[in-house]
Amino acid sequence: MKQMDQNKAGMIKLTLLRVVVYAILIFLSFLCLFFFYLMIVNSTRSNAELAKGFTLIPSGSFFINLKNAWNDSSINIPRGMLNSLIISLSTAVLTTYFSALTAYGVHVYDFKGKKFVFTFIMAIMMIPAQVSALGFVQLMNKMNLNDSFIPLIVPGIAAPVVFFYMKQYMESVLPLDVIDAARVDGSGEFRTFNTIVLPMLKPALAVQMIFSFVSSWNNYFIPALLLNKPELKTVPIMIAQLRSADYSKFDMGKVYMFILLAILPVLITYIILSKSIIKGVTAGSVKG
Amino acid sequence: MENKLKTNNGKLKSVSYAKWGYIFIAPFFIVYLLFTLIPQFLTIYNSFFETYRIGLSQVGPNFVGLKNYIELFKADPNGTVLILKYAWNTIWMWFLGALPQFVVAMLLALFFTSIRLNIKGQGFFKTVIYMPNLIMAAAFSMLFYALFCKGGPIQTLLTNKGVLEMEFDFFRHRVTVRGMIALMNFLMWFGNTTIVLMAGIMGIDQSIFESATIDGANSVQVFFRVTLPLLMPIFVYCLITAMIGGIQMFDVPQVLTKGDGVPNGTTRTLVMYLNNYLKTYNYGMSGAISVIIFIITGGLGGIVYKILSKQYKDPEAKHRERKGKVI
Amino acid sequence: MKKLLAIMFAVLMIVSIAACTKPEKPVEQGKVFNIYAWNDEFKGFFEEYYKVPEGVEVKWIINPSDNGVYQQKLDEALLNQENAPADEKIDLFLAEADYIGKYVDSDYTMDISKIGFKNASTMYDYTIKAASDTKGVCKGVSFQCCPAGVIYRKSIAKDVLGTDVPEEVQAAIDTWEKFDEVAAKAKEKGYYMTASFAETFRAFSNNCTKPWVDDKGNLQFDDQITAWIDQTDKFIENGYTLTAGVWDKEKTDQMFATGKTMCFFGPAWYYNFCMTNAMDETDGCAGDWCLVKGPQAYFWGGTWLLAANGSDNTEMLKDIFETFTVNTDVLKKMVKDKNQYVNNTDVVKEFAEDASYGNTAILDGQNDIAIFYELAKDIKWENHTNYDQLLNEGLQNKLQEFYTGSVDKDTAMKNFYQYIKETYPNIVVPEA
Repeated sequence: MKQMDQNKAGMIKLTLLRVVVYAILIFLSFLCLFFFYLMIVNSTRSNAELAKGFTLIPSGSFFINLKNAWNDSSINIPRGMLNSLIISLSTAVLTTYFSALTAYGVHVYDFKGKKFVFTFIMAIMMIPAQVSALGFVQLMNKMNLNDSFIPLIVPGIAAPVVFFYMKQYMESVLPLDVIDAARVDGSGEFRTFNTIVLPMLKPALAVQMIFSFVSSWNNYFIPALLLNKPELKTVPIMIAQLRSADYSKFDMGKVYMFILLAILPVLITYIILSKSIIKGVTAGSVKG
Repeated sequence: MENKLKTNNGKLKSVSYAKWGYIFIAPFFIVYLLFTLIPQFLTIYNSFFETYRIGLSQVGPNFVGLKNYIELFKADPNGTVLILKYAWNTIWMWFLGALPQFVVAMLLALFFTSIRLNIKGQGFFKTVIYMPNLIMAAAFSMLFYALFCKGGPIQTLLTNKGVLEMEFDFFRHRVTVRGMIALMNFLMWFGNTTIVLMAGIMGIDQSIFESATIDGANSVQVFFRVTLPLLMPIFVYCLITAMIGGIQMFDVPQVLTKGDGVPNGTTRTLVMYLNNYLKTYNYGMSGAISVIIFIITGGLGGIVYKILSKQYKDPEAKHRERKGKVI
Repeated sequence: MKKLLAIMFAVLMIVSIAACTKPEKPVEQGKVFNIYAWNDEFKGFFEEYYKVPEGVEVKWIINPSDNGVYQQKLDEALLNQENAPADEKIDLFLAEADYIGKYVDSDYTMDISKIGFKNASTMYDYTIKAASDTKGVCKGVSFQCCPAGVIYRKSIAKDVLGTDVPEEVQAAIDTWEKFDEVAAKAKEKGYYMTASFAETFRAFSNNCTKPWVDDKGNLQFDDQITAWIDQTDKFIENGYTLTAGVWDKEKTDQMFATGKTMCFFGPAWYYNFCMTNAMDETDGCAGDWCLVKGPQAYFWGGTWLLAANGSDNTEMLKDIFETFTVNTDVLKKMVKDKNQYVNNTDVVKEFAEDASYGNTAILDGQNDIAIFYELAKDIKWENHTNYDQLLNEGLQNKLQEFYTGSVDKDTAMKNFYQYIKETYPNIVVPEA
């Protein structure tokens, strides 16, 4: 009897908790979706309507804006999307892979200067990027790497923040026993990393791939300073180009439309990658 | 399993794996040296020079020693030491947004990973809370500005309802502008932190939770005794990177206040200050500010890292670390 | 997942390498004409009205002005001009009045008389002065003028002044003293004279005669700037204007039919493209507006074409300059088809004298060119410096905080001085 009462009380408590949890989730979702909704509404309004001010009611210019943005002579949306996709995907892959590799090197092996390496990477993580951005652009120009995707992709290999994350993640989830076991089985160091360690890091890789993809996708300043050729320009540059159009062509409807279009690929990437953050990935491998 | 490892350990010891350490970290350092080192070094180097442009004509570079640093700590005509004011603005606004960010993110991460709660529609919620982060900061600030500006929907609604006085302007008051910036930062980043913490919790071996529950620990105990210590490295990561991002806060207040940090510079951040010098290519002063930002971040980051990492080194992690040394 | 990633990665690398390889074209000297611009407005005119010589390839390098990217890249390219291969050297670049001095007053622009171009007498004087350095050497031309005036709301003028006839309204506001008096009358009737504290700034600052900085490097306030501050102090205090910025919603809301503001200051592009609220079908008041000169002639906007030093296409440069300043056939088409106010007094005079001309709905078909034609003769350009853009911006931004009530005037001015110290450490500002 007592047991049953306890169970009942527990059930009530759980139900109450669920109500609170769902309420919080719905409230936060509403906040987040609200801004997204505003973007959608804005993309359905003409430039003149946008100038009038805000409204929550969509208007009828969605397809006109889409057509205008698509046909704008100064930008080529599919090309921009493709460029951004190439840069962002390559950056995401390189960043996560090499950061994991570097973190693994520091986490697993014992070598002279290991402490220094860790401290050094932590230190460069804290140098503000704004000033060195201009120096970076000048350096790339000197190396004749402007109008190329290399300076936008390759530096991702040395990403201190992602390294730090991987290092911390390994500290919390990567048991060294697994590596020992692999060695006993005669697995080479690279093979161990690629076939045993990487799968264990799947959630971490997915998380950092999302983050680096998004930040690379939305990056404006450096690509804008490096790329000249219209066929190499990325999405944020094209959006900025719409914004600096002359008055006869200036159209915020187009701008909002393009901002909306630009979100879709990142959203899809996020949804795909977030599936990889699955529960209990490591459970199996540790026990084995 | 333990036994097997122990017998093998002796064998492993004789092989030195140190060179693999160097091989694994080599790509990072090569790329860093090629692409990033020179500009970063120049940032620090330039901070000892007077160098800026008037139009297209270059002034300097003339070596001035520590003059730029001294200049930064001089009082402005109103008697304020601006860099201290902006440092305080930055840290305070970061804190205002980061506190709810971490509390909410930790709660959400626990909700999502809790088997007992078994939240339905997780895919939807996880996608939605991350969405503000997908919008470009500049576009997000534009939306926010349009919502809260004088004559904008929120101001109009609140004044019509009599909640605010007629002439109320969100951009005239320190509290409201800072509040908006903190709110935006919160909205943009809490989803991000939730995901990181969630991935951290999911990486933890489920059997640890199971055994803790079997031992009769309640959920609060499980959180403080098991989840948090094991999650600590990830939590430290979140905190430190959020702090770095916070101290380098720029685009949100820049776009929202059109670069002015209204009212009276109370929402101006360190990097906005730095950015103002970049308009005239003043690498001397902006370099000096960079170094100061670096020192502040390094100091705060170091303290957080030391305290939290030490306090929560659980026995298991220590055990692992010891083993790591053996290898 | 790993395999998928590996394949994805390989494909991406190949694609990105392919996308990066620069095609090598054997181009002879002077065969590539490089133009730097921040949007494709001029490109449109260029492609429609200018016939590119056989064998020359025109390359447009268009960079957005957001975040100063346009000037930053242009500067980088100009500083590197000497070392650049001939077909990568900039030949022509575009500049706006706000920062034109930076380029004109440097060795990176070319004396256009050296390429055989003579400034025509039909060009507006201020456009020549703007493109000339401190020694009077001209470095480029303007293909469009942006004379600006006062756009007043007819119904409100009728209520305040008892008339809405342009000549009579102009007579009532042709000096700043009269303008201020009308502002007081408008206030009595419950109207605002202007809708932004900075509305009249350009009308004053365009007429400055002293540079911002004297020979000794001291900051100095021109009488026009002081007059603007005095006027704005008074306007804010008496409620003749609003505290909004020039582009703020609070101001643009005043353009609706429900608006209470009598005057807006601006050029043709302003009322044609930026007063969309006035032209709104349901809430607007198109046709209730009229253009007059106002108290002082000024301009707002306009694009200059500057010849880059080191260009190897001097013949073509001269040709382009001539096409857009003296080729009357082209210029007439630009007025008629593109609504441009061209930089040729003969051409605009023809339209000004044509009583039937006038096609702007917002002005109810008023011949705006006739107003601008007279007004543009009085536009001044004197003693502009490289400091103007950032100093003018800074002054308005810092004073706005005083006008909105965030700080007192003393603090606002001190903030302005501090801003100057940060922007141009060489300028001596008054000590606190």
